[in-house]
Amino acid sequence: MELNEEEQRMLDGKQGSGVQKAMEILVAYGDCYGAHRMIPVTSVHMAGNFPVLMDEGIEWLEDLAGDGTKVAVFTTKNPEMFDFEQAEELRIPTIYQIRQQRIHEALKALGLTLTYSCHHYLVGNVPRFGDHIAWASSGSQVFANSVIGARSNRDGDHVALAAAITGVIPEWGMHLDENRRAGMIVDVAQLPLETYGPADYKALGWHLGKLVGTHIPAVLNLPRDIHIEGIKGLLYTLTVTGAAGLVHLVGITPEAPTLEAVFPGPHPAPPDIVPSQKDVDKAFLEISSSSEDKIDMVIFGCPQCSIQEVQEIAALLDGKKVHPDTKLWICTSRWVKTLCERMGLLERIMASGSRLLCDMGAADGPHLYLREQGVRVIAINSARGSYYAHNLFGMDTWFGSTEDCIRSAVSGKWEGRK
Amino acid sequence: MMRFKAKPVMKGVAEGEAIVSRMPISFTGGMDPDTGNIREPGHDLEGQSVAGKILVFPTGKGSTTGSWQYYAAFKRGNAPKGIINVSAEGVVAVSAIITSTPMVHELEKDPLACIETGDYVKIDADNGIVEIEKKT
Repeated sequence: MELNEEEQRMLDGKQGSGVQKAMEILVAYGDCYGAHRMIPVTSVHMAGNFPVLMDEGIEWLEDLAGDGTKVAVFTTKNPEMFDFEQAEELRIPTIYQIRQQRIHEALKALGLTLTYSCHHYLVGNVPRFGDHIAWASSGSQVFANSVIGARSNRDGDHVALAAAITGVIPEWGMHLDENRRAGMIVDVAQLPLETYGPADYKALGWHLGKLVGTHIPAVLNLPRDIHIEGIKGLLYTLTVTGAAGLVHLVGITPEAPTLEAVFPGPHPAPPDIVPSQKDVDKAFLEISSSSEDKIDMVIFGCPQCSIQEVQEIAALLDGKKVHPDTKLWICTSRWVKTLCERMGLLERIMASGSRLLCDMGAADGPHLYLREQGVRVIAINSARGSYYAHNLFGMDTWFGSTEDCIRSAVSGKWEGRK
Repeated sequence: MMRFKAKPVMKGVAEGEAIVSRMPISFTGGMDPDTGNIREPGHDLEGQSVAGKILVFPTGKGSTTGSWQYYAAFKRGNAPKGIINVSAEGVVAVSAIITSTPMVHELEKDPLACIETGDYVKIDADNGIVEIEKKT
């Protein structure tokens, strides 16, 4: 790979050992994929928490911060494992609190913007169309590529941090035009999309992910007025069962005003995948992993609930009480929680016996300690959250719409599809 | 003794007994940081430790969080001494860089064809050379 003078100085250690290590990471990474040069990045997002980093990873961050290394690019951070302000009430073990606090201090010293959010693109980390970025979380990576039209590979934390410190990333994969073309066509015209809510789009994403694998699909005949929660549902689920980093939603994705714009060749082939409602119904049921009716908990927020989602949940909860043997948690960012306090939503949520938590998500964090506290069967409106809670933490899960989950929270047993 | 040219990923020199896999390795879930044992069910090295060995395998796979897992294995003394890949990918390359583990790939001969478990292998990644002493 060819480096410019500034990049070579970084590699030679002229800007300190932290910058040197970061450039060594990027050069080795770029060489693996045949990159010819570095390109500037405008936005970075880091993912890891203490179960992934382990004590040694925390020390790695502390060493990096201890050298005086700082990020040179706007860099946000994914959710933590729990809401620090509610740690005592939630009976979070001291060892977890110490680990989370150490990560917090190291990231603060490195100069990260401590959003603790996976909807970082709703709270300030907004790249533009065509920007080169490094987002280390598969859900928001596919959102950036497909909805914003910014360009990110599936970079891990070390690569993302190295990009944040040096300001550059090797040019390969999703950064190059020729790698962003569609490799297969999906036509959803047969589906009754006018009746679809976010949960139905999640079931569709679950089905499609298994068929597209690592290919870039172009999806035809989505309604132009599809709600953003429908788009998020489709994309965030598709990256659980599949590994596409970019999905061209034709007519919605900035690079894909038409099929011809993203599908190579003068005459696009007939569709490779034409899902039927039967396929989507089957996928909807497949997402659930439980067979027990009694539920211990309903949890929302994978990705973290937007203010619109919290408003919807609060309205559904008005005048209702959560069953005394069931918990209901709503996970979001600190920004959304602040809005909820200001707008009186928090009081309405608490009046129903539910809890609002911030700086954490519903996919993995809480299940680490909830399981130890006897929570076993959960209901969730996120297919992604269902998958991770079941496969990483052994939770039994029910998947359904937000309305299904609220009705279940009130009755204490699963009221949705099964 | 055989001697082949190779492309360096991480500089340095390491030598020791080789352990060879014909399957890609995921460090997240696929390797236990507490023992260095490969623990992916059905893997051709399942139950065997790569700690202190020269690890020879085709390429990496799996979660990008693998570099954190590898770093923990290294700090606990359970990582390989050196790595030879047929063709490196990002997770393994980053793991080698952050632990200063000598690593090469793209040998002039297929390493899976000329190295067997138990051979004595020296990686000189400073000069892009791999030396193999066949076990007797």
